Parts: sequence; structure tokens; C-alpha cells
Amino acid sequence: MAKGLAIIMFTGQAEYFIPLAVLTQTAANFGIPVRIFVTGFALPYFTKNKPEPRFSKEFEDMVPKLEEGMKKLNMPSWYDIVKEAKETGDVKIYVCSLMAEVMGLKKEDLDPIVDDIVGAAYFMQTTEGYQVIFI
Amino acid sequence: MPEKIVVDARNMACPGPITKLTKAYRKAKPGDIIEVLATDPGFKPDVQAWVQRTGNELLELKEEGGVIKAVIKVTAKK
Repeated sequence: MAKGLAIIMFTGQAEYFIPLAVLTQTAANFGIPVRIFVTGFALPYFTKNKPEPRFSKEFEDMVPKLEEGMKKLNMPSWYDIVKEAKETGDVKIYVCSLMAEVMGLKKEDLDPIVDDIVGAAYFMQTTEGYQVIFI
Repeated sequence: MPEKIVVDARNMACPGPITKLTKAYRKAKPGDIIEVLATDPGFKPDVQAWVQRTGNELLELKEEGGVIKAVIKVTAKK
């Protein structure tokens, strides 16, 4: 079993937030530490004025059925799942300092779900030996 | 006195049932019995993995009428 999960959340389309939520929650249930590094196009969804992630156009034919199925199962949103995982497990969310700087975002602009703004070196050092997942 | 805790996770999708089980487990005392009901098709292998991971005892695992029932004894808590 992995020492921990290091998830690099780069992509911003809605479908990518599902594995983020499921993997984070599952690791939290197992008592496995999770460190999420938010960068690239995922950044806007971790700010205070976060938009709703949109599904990729390429898969739009599949989306109505997907949304209907998730509604039928009363599936919480990705945000609520990750928030709950933070409450039950050892989950930390870091925003990439380069992206924050480039997009002109400060700590106070970020969603309360975010723990801190850090650089790649800190992330790499604190997740040494972890299984890395790039989303 | 050991208690029997029923966790109804029917009509919940992955990772809902395991999350609900984990929450119940956190509150459980050594010797308690947790009975989980689930309809998620991945629940059988998932609950076996959970038991393996947490070191508790799986007393029963069966499926009846589309409902999976897992009975777990809390043995890994001191």
C-alpha cells in the first residue's frame, strides 16, 4: 500500500473532478494521507469565485445520462466529497505558487478548502515516496 | 456491551458505502458488529479490501435480491 497519494490536479473539465473526489475520499477512508497540488486549468475551481466546472465538449452526448445517473444516486458534488474527505482523513490541498502568481491570486482569493500556496519543491519534498497521480 | 450498528448504504454509489462504513467504524467500540447494506456493484470487493486494510474481521458477505450485506466485527480497535 502506498505511503500516501500525491495528486496533481491540472485539468479543469468537470469529468476530471470525479476521479479527484473518488480517489481522495477512498484514500481518506483507508487512512492514507493525500496531498493535492492544484495547478494549470484546475486553479479557478479552487478560488472563492469558483465557476462550475464544465464537461468536455467531446463527450457532451454522454453528459445528460451521466448527470441523470449521478442525480438518481444522490451523489454529492466533487467539492462536498473532497471537503468531507478533509474532515475525515489526512488531506491537504495546496495551490501551485507559480500559477497563483501568474493569475494574480493571493491566499485570500482562494477557497477555504485550500490549505496553502506552495512551490513544487515543497510539494515534492513532502510527498516523497507517495504514489503520484496526475489528473 | 458490544453493539450492533446497521449502516444502510443502499442506493449509494462508490465511494459512498465505504465512506459511510468508515464513519460508523470511527465511532464503533472494540467488539461491536457493523452490518452494512449496499447496492453498489463494486461493494463486495471494496468491503473485502477495506477489511484487509483495516484489519477487522468479516463475518459474513452475501448478496440477496440485489442487496449486498456485509457483517464486520470490530477487532482492530484497542
